[in-house]
Amino acid sequence: MKTNRDTKASTTSVRSFKGAGLRSRNTPQPGHRRHKWRIIRWSVLLFVQFLFFASFFFDIQILEGTLSGSRLLGFHQIDPLAAFQLILASKIIMINLIIGMATIFIIYLLFGGRSFCSWICPYHWLAELGEMIHKKLRTKKIIRNHGFDRNIRYYFYVIFLGLALITGYTVFETINPVSIISRAVVYGPSLMLLWVATLLLFEIFYSRRAWCRYFCPVGVSYQLIGLLSPLRIKWDREKCSNCKRCQSVCLVPQVLNNCVNTGKSAYVDSSLCTRCGLCVDICDDEALGYGLKYLDKLI
Amino acid sequence: MAQAEKKISRRRFLKASTFVATGAALTYGAVSVPLLRKKNKVLLRPPGALDEDLFLASCIKCGQCLQVCPPQVIHLADIDQGFGIGTPYIIPRRGGCILCSGLPCVLACPTGALNHHLSLGKDAEMGIAVVSSPSTCLAMLGKNDLLFRLEQLQQHPEKGDIVTELRDIVARLAGRISPAEKTKLQERFSMPEISESTLPQLIAKVKLSDLDWLIAFVTGSSLAQSGCRVCLDECPIRDEKTIVFEPKSETQEKGAFFPVVQTSCVGCGVCEEKCPTPVASITISPQKKWPGKNKDHVGEGGQST
Repeated sequence: MKTNRDTKASTTSVRSFKGAGLRSRNTPQPGHRRHKWRIIRWSVLLFVQFLFFASFFFDIQILEGTLSGSRLLGFHQIDPLAAFQLILASKIIMINLIIGMATIFIIYLLFGGRSFCSWICPYHWLAELGEMIHKKLRTKKIIRNHGFDRNIRYYFYVIFLGLALITGYTVFETINPVSIISRAVVYGPSLMLLWVATLLLFEIFYSRRAWCRYFCPVGVSYQLIGLLSPLRIKWDREKCSNCKRCQSVCLVPQVLNNCVNTGKSAYVDSSLCTRCGLCVDICDDEALGYGLKYLDKLI
Repeated sequence: MAQAEKKISRRRFLKASTFVATGAALTYGAVSVPLLRKKNKVLLRPPGALDEDLFLASCIKCGQCLQVCPPQVIHLADIDQGFGIGTPYIIPRRGGCILCSGLPCVLACPTGALNHHLSLGKDAEMGIAVVSSPSTCLAMLGKNDLLFRLEQLQQHPEKGDIVTELRDIVARLAGRISPAEKTKLQERFSMPEISESTLPQLIAKVKLSDLDWLIAFVTGSSLAQSGCRVCLDECPIRDEKTIVFEPKSETQEKGAFFPVVQTSCVGCGVCEEKCPTPVASITISPQKKWPGKNKDHVGEGGQST
C-alpha cells in the first residue's frame, strides 16, 4: 500500500532542497520544544478568558464585557461582524462602534489578523481539544473526515449581514458560538451552550474543525485585517526538508502551499493563516517561525 | 478510474453541502425571526432602553450593563425568553432597579441601546406599576405589613429562612414605633436602649420563640391601625409621590386605602420586589408608557380589574 507521501517522494516533480536528506526527518534539533507555541498560546487564551471572568466575578476592571463588545482598560473593543450587524439592523452609526472597531483594527494589525481565532477565541480552544479526539477516532478508523467548501464562511458573512438589514435584528448573534461561550464564561451557563455542544460533536464525528475551517464568519473580519498585518509565519527554504508535516497539523493547510510546496514565497501570505504556531512547533528542521514581513530587513 | 469517480463525487458533495449550509443559514434567518419574536415575552429592560424593536437591533449582548449594576438585578435572557438571546432584562420580583445616581448601566452601554441621553432615573420609562391584585393588596385591606408578615411566619413556618425574616421585621419595627412602645420592646429584649447603633445587637437577640409575643405586641401597638405603605416607602423616586393612597369611600373599613399609581412612576420594579403579599399585589407592566406625561394621574387606569 503506497501512501500519499511515498507517491510524492518517488515522482521527480517534487522539488528537492539544499537541506533535504541531510538530516533525519524525525529528529528534532537540540533545544527544540515540541509544544512551545501551543503552551504559550493556550496560556494567553485561557488568561484572556480569566480576565473576562475576573472583571465580573472579582471586579478586576482590566477587560470588561464579552468578546462581542468589551473594554480593555476603558477602551472600547467591538467585534467587527457584530458592529456591522448592529449598524445594518438599527440603521444607526454609533461613534462607540467606530472607536471599538478601530481599537480592534490596531490590535490585530499589530498581532496578525486571524490570530484572534487561535490566540483569543474560546471556541477555537474547545475545537482543538475536539480535534484531538477526532484524530484518535480516525486512526482507529471509526470515523471518516468530510470536507466542505472553504468559501462558505464568506457566503455566511454576506448572508448574515443581509439578514441583519432585512430583519432588523442581529440574527447571527443568536447562534454565534464565540459570544455564547464568552457570555457563559463571564455570566454563567445558558441553554445556548447546547448548540455549541452540537457543533463540537459535529466536528468530532463528522468533519475535522468544521466550524473554524469552513463556516465561522467571525474570523472573516479579522482575516481582512490580517491581509495588512506584517506578523506572519516565515519559512526558511534552506532548512526545509519538505516533509510537509506542517500541513498535517495546520487548520488551513492550503496556506502553506506557496512556501513548502512550491517555494514561491518566504512568508505565509494567505489571510486565512491564524498564526497559531502549530507548524512552528512540529517542524524539526526549524524552517518555520514567526516573522515580520516588510519589517524584517529594517530590524 | 476509481480515483476519478471519487473526485467527482467529492466535488458533488462539496457543491451540495454548500447549498445546504447557505440554505440553512437563510432558513434560520427567515424562520427564527418571526417564530421567536411571536413567542417573545415582554421583558422589563434596564433604564434608558430604546423601543423594543430598536433595542433588539442595537443591543450587542456584551453584558456590560450587568457588570456595573450596583444591586446586580440585571439578567441576560436565554433561549427560553424567546427572541432576544443575551439581551439584558430585570426580574422585578427578584430585584427591582433602584435607579441609582449616574445610571452606570446606561453609561456602560457601548452601543446606545440604553439611550445615553437619559441622565436621571426619574426620567426613565421602563414600564408602569399596576395594582394587579387589589383583593390581596394590604393597603386595600387596611392591614399593616409587619403584622401581616409576622402572621405569615406563624401560618407557614416551613417557608424559607424564618429567623432572618423575623429579624428583618424587628429591625423595621424598631424604626416605626412610638417612644413609649420602644420601652416595651427594650424591656422584652433587656436592652438599655434602642437606636440605630444598637439595632444589630437587638436583632441578634430575636429568636423564633419571640414570634407570638411580637404578634401580640404589634397588634396592641399603634402600628396595627396603619395600613401597608411598603410600595410607596420603598420607591426610589423620592421627590414626587409615585403612589397616592385614596380613601376607599364605598367600604366602611377603617384604614382601608386605594393605591393609585401616578405618572411619575417609571416602572423600576422595586414595589413589586418589596410587596409583602405572597404573590406581589403590585406588578410592573414592562415597556408600557404613560399616554402623555402631562396628566396628573390616570386614576383607575393604573389599576387592572
